[in-house]
Amino acid sequence: MENILLSLIFVPLLAGSVVLIFLRNSKWPKDITALLVTFANLVATAMIFKSNFSFTVPWASFGFEFSLRLYQFSAFIILASAGFGFLITLYSVAFMREKSNSGIFFGLLLISLSLVNGAVLSNNLVLMLFFWEALLVTLWGMIAIGNKAAYKTATKAFIIVGISDLCLMAGIAICGHIAGTFTMSNICIGVGGIGGLAFILMVIGAIAKAGSMPFHTWIPDAALDAHLPFMAILPAALEKLLGIYLLARISLDMFKLSHNSWASYTLMTVGAITILGAVLMALIQKDYKRLLSYHAISQVGYMILGIGTLVPIGIVGGLFHMINHAMYKSCLFLTGGSVEKQAGTTDLEKLGGLGRMMPITFICFIITAASISGVPPFNGFFSKELIYDGALERGMIFYIAAVLGSFLTAASFLKLGHAAFMGRANREDVKEAPISMLAPMITIASLCVIFGLWNSIPLKYLIQPILGSRLEDYNFAGWPTNTTIVWVTIAVLIAAVLNHMYGVKRTGSGLKAVDHIHHAPILSTVYDKAERGVLDPYNIGMGATTIFAYCLSTCDKATNWIYDSFIPTITDYASAIIRGLHDGSVKTYIIWSLVATAVVISLLLK
Amino acid sequence: MLSLLILVPLIGIVILNLSARAPARRLAFWFALLIFISQILLAACRHPVLWNVEMKQIDTFFKVSLSMDQISFIMLLCIGIVSIASLLVARHTIYDEKELFKFVNLLIITSIGMNGIVLVKDIFTLYIFLEITALASFVLIALEKDRNAIEGSFKYLILSAIATIMLLTSIALLFMVSGSTSFEAIRQALNLANNNIILFAIGLFVCGLAIKGGLVPFHAWVPDAYSSAPAAVSVLLGGIVTKTVGIYTLIRLLIAVFGFDPSLKTILLALGALSIVFGALAAIGQNDMKRMLAYSSISQVGYIILGFGCGTFLGIAGAIFHIFNHSIFKSLLFVNSAAVETRLGTTDMNKMGGLSSKMPITGTTSVIGMLSAAGVPPLAGFWSKLMIIVALWQSGSKTYSFIAIMASVITLAYLLIMQRKVFFGKLSIENENIDEARIGISTASIMLAVIIIGSGVFFPLVFNKFIAPIQELIIR
Repeated sequence: MENILLSLIFVPLLAGSVVLIFLRNSKWPKDITALLVTFANLVATAMIFKSNFSFTVPWASFGFEFSLRLYQFSAFIILASAGFGFLITLYSVAFMREKSNSGIFFGLLLISLSLVNGAVLSNNLVLMLFFWEALLVTLWGMIAIGNKAAYKTATKAFIIVGISDLCLMAGIAICGHIAGTFTMSNICIGVGGIGGLAFILMVIGAIAKAGSMPFHTWIPDAALDAHLPFMAILPAALEKLLGIYLLARISLDMFKLSHNSWASYTLMTVGAITILGAVLMALIQKDYKRLLSYHAISQVGYMILGIGTLVPIGIVGGLFHMINHAMYKSCLFLTGGSVEKQAGTTDLEKLGGLGRMMPITFICFIITAASISGVPPFNGFFSKELIYDGALERGMIFYIAAVLGSFLTAASFLKLGHAAFMGRANREDVKEAPISMLAPMITIASLCVIFGLWNSIPLKYLIQPILGSRLEDYNFAGWPTNTTIVWVTIAVLIAAVLNHMYGVKRTGSGLKAVDHIHHAPILSTVYDKAERGVLDPYNIGMGATTIFAYCLSTCDKATNWIYDSFIPTITDYASAIIRGLHDGSVKTYIIWSLVATAVVISLLLK
Repeated sequence: MLSLLILVPLIGIVILNLSARAPARRLAFWFALLIFISQILLAACRHPVLWNVEMKQIDTFFKVSLSMDQISFIMLLCIGIVSIASLLVARHTIYDEKELFKFVNLLIITSIGMNGIVLVKDIFTLYIFLEITALASFVLIALEKDRNAIEGSFKYLILSAIATIMLLTSIALLFMVSGSTSFEAIRQALNLANNNIILFAIGLFVCGLAIKGGLVPFHAWVPDAYSSAPAAVSVLLGGIVTKTVGIYTLIRLLIAVFGFDPSLKTILLALGALSIVFGALAAIGQNDMKRMLAYSSISQVGYIILGFGCGTFLGIAGAIFHIFNHSIFKSLLFVNSAAVETRLGTTDMNKMGGLSSKMPITGTTSVIGMLSAAGVPPLAGFWSKLMIIVALWQSGSKTYSFIAIMASVITLAYLLIMQRKVFFGKLSIENENIDEARIGISTASIMLAVIIIGSGVFFPLVFNKFIAPIQELIIR
């Protein structure tokens, strides 16, 4: 058993290194290697899915152990990540065919899979941190191989995620100090005093990985600059899985949180702000991929909100939303990739009428867009209903924020679908994507339908076992029990459609259907600033860095002055005085000696 | 057997001087070399069979008991090594054969005096040997009869005379109290009676030796004497004479006779720290290479006294080892200054620069000596400084250990200044035709550099064989 666990980490790592070093410029071997390894990874994770197993190798002192633990939660996460890994590799084989750097992409993808497996399986915080931080390197690499501006975006991502990883590291250190151990399954501490600091720092690490506000700003940039499969695999799927996994571990296992604690309200607030802030930005985007990337941020808000409610229904909803989101969002990105590859652009101004020419892609888009908007009976509907229920239980304001987010999500996807797939076509020669790109999309889209229609399957077998006794024997499978909420959701969706129809009628174009929101008073100024990047915490931070750098440089100069001028001058003066004392006269020297002798003797005699 | 260390050179000198003709003069150099080498070998192998040979008439020749212990071994070794270095330098710096013959005679007399100081166990005999050494040194400094040398010699003579008065007075007082001049008898008498006269005597004795050893503020003769003396004499004086005459004697008397009075410890620590800081600060502003080395000597003597002032085993062991290291690296640096002086005809550092390219052996060995003086691991000087600083810390004198560490930064600073001004940088045009130092001087440099590296790298061996046995002397 331990061999399987170890090979889950080391085989993709080894294969990725081989691809990076030897097969980087090969034609087929790199694709075949990546496909085989990701498929083997999927099979292996599926085989061990039902097992419970842990093993520990003493590694270094201070409680740092090589300790792996396989149980319901980690098995579920690595199974999901393996599934996405395989499907997106399959998709990339066709998508990346003509791109340079595809060898590096596959190599880094395999290494990322290995690191995700390692981070999820680790039962020791320090070991987990090791894998977690290593992902930063592959993240940087996978963005940097994109277009010309990608290098800058990669650095931005590196700095943002790196800083939040530092927070995580500090949090882990404090946590280990308080708990006296780094073994995750043995940690159970409160959030009072310094424990609260540890909680906040670790949550920052977790939600920054998931892409929550205010750690999100690299994602929209990367959507434009990086290769599309990167968006589908890392920000849309694997990073959500990892970040929410850790958030759930922190707030459910490692810290004792009560329902009314500040920690719960903080999480829910962050979630609500992320939902609304990101979806508002998504609404006005004019690029297929960039619009999707803002939704990838917005949806994290639902997961954080769900887990932050700390009631069973909310937590189940949050975790269910995590897997649902990973599915529909990566599938949406894949449809974006198909459009990019076949139509040559993702600029919504230049797209239109693709629905007739790419029917399968369009169908996949409709299914997944309906899912993300929470249209029954797709999977997103069910997980959102659970979150609504949990949020309503904790406070009306959070529920309203979530529902409002849903309205805007629906509105922006109506706009996206209308602008890209309907209306007048700019080009008539666009063909449907190749089968190897369609297959992953179809697979994921049908999973979205299955997880919706038969939601008892994922809930009963994947999500609910994770909570164990916390679940208090509830069963959330099947149609939502609270019919009021369902009616509200349906009303909101209808409102979104009406809003879209009003916008289209007003401007005569699908793309400009939300202009009345964009140009509403107050909102328009905020939008204006946000688009210029004034509100981007990264830019603000970089501005502050300049001041900080100036202070440091001044300190440095002062230190240099002390060493280069002050001390030498003092020394020179002292030296000159001492040399001046030696006047060469024997008389002086005799007097020195005699006086000193007198002093010594008087000291001795006292 | 021990008497031979004094008798053989003495008889040798007498025979050599019976006929002061050319062949005898040439023989003198080789004779001196032979006796120093045999002294080194005897001291280094330290085999009891050699040392315990009894020779009735010869052993009782001086009517005083000579004895040998762990510290004496180390001192004999230093005396032998530095004397050889001085001898080799003299061969290439003193061109007149008659002058060289005089130098060799005086060198042998100095070494007789120092061997005597190291071996005697009697305070008055000690005084006699101190005077023998001092007298020979005065003449050695003034050997070249130039104005500066005579002035330096005169200053040394005057201050030495004051020291002599102090020592004699002190010895008289001690004799008055104890009725004997042997170390053991005085010690026992002092244990019984502890009054102000004895403290006064001890104070006078310590101050007299401080003058001879060149501790601040008794040091003023040192820079003049060292810098005006002929190159070979500087090696001898800076390397070993003042350390044996002043510092070793002080250590010996405090361990064997006076014992450690708490206020005496305070005085020693203060004198040591003062010497370190004062010497280092004065050295940093010097333009003359030999003068800088002279002030550096004062500073390094401060380290020895500081370590010794702790009164613990580690401190005393560090002090003894630092005497050894100092005698090696300081004579190495003086040998190098002699090499430069012979080639350039000056010791003004502002007229030098870039000499490393023309004198690679001198430049390289100088770096080794400098690093050892500054206490850079793994060279020998690092270990002794480390022992001293650790001893200071352990015995609670944390301020002094801080001063010692800070001052070693200044040490590195002035030695780097010297190194940069003399050996690094750009070669000036008028120095373009100089050659490497003559073979004898280079040999001395290499020998000393090898000793520095060897005793640093094999420090555990050196420590176990030579330094750890000192413990027997201290814990009584």
